[in-house]
Amino acid sequence: MKRISKLLLWSSLAAALGAQPLQINLDQLASKASETVDVSLNGATLQFAAKFLDGKDSEEAKVKKLLAGIEGIYVKSFEFKTEGAWSKADLERLRNQLRPPQWSRIVGVTSTEDGETAEVYVRSENNKMTGLAILAAEPKEFTVVNIVGSLDLNSLADLGGHFGIPKVDVPAAQKK
Amino acid sequence: MDWLEQELKRALERKEPAPEFTARVLAAARRRPSLAARRWIAIAASVVVLAGGGVGYRWYAGIQAKNQVMLAVRIAAGKLNQVQTHVLEVTQ
Repeated sequence: MKRISKLLLWSSLAAALGAQPLQINLDQLASKASETVDVSLNGATLQFAAKFLDGKDSEEAKVKKLLAGIEGIYVKSFEFKTEGAWSKADLERLRNQLRPPQWSRIVGVTSTEDGETAEVYVRSENNKMTGLAILAAEPKEFTVVNIVGSLDLNSLADLGGHFGIPKVDVPAAQKK
Repeated sequence: MDWLEQELKRALERKEPAPEFTARVLAAARRRPSLAARRWIAIAASVVVLAGGGVGYRWYAGIQAKNQVMLAVRIAAGKLNQVQTHVLEVTQ
């Protein structure tokens, strides 16, 4: 009986820890950045914000729909005046938290010419997506996005077509 | 003096107030709400001010939260689309 209760306790603890956001500790970059965006929204704040989203506005309606299954959104984005402000170690620290079996990298793009790196990771449980992480680094920019909860990746990508950013349709075969 | 002037003169002529008029005005001025009533009025006013402030603050916080959500989604969607663009460039 004790063994079962211990097992239950550990499994619930593991589940609770699994739903937690990434530890995005990039304070050393914040001090070097010329512009910093730091957004940290937990489930309660998201639910509260959703009440203020206008359902009649097409963009806000889509965001409202997207928020339905999301438990947290955490974004840190830094812009630097000079190159070399971030190091590979900064990327590695984040990658270390995005390891299998919970996380899997679905897309990874590295351009040695432009010095750009972009990686998309998804967290899944029982074949259901429960989290998303995007690491995007350019010579003068470093961005980490972590979304906790279930979301439709296509709906999020679709929003890229709004906000003045041209949407690029990836053929179905390339979508993972 | 025609009839109109006479009428006007009669209508506008000085009239003395009734003898008890001064007493009535002074009594009305002295008639203030009781201490308890004044307390309740003060409490009610405070509640109205606090409730108004609370609603205002809640609205402000909601708009702030909404703007934060829109900014976060804008960045996430933008980056995701950027990755898609890269993938498309590489695969084509």
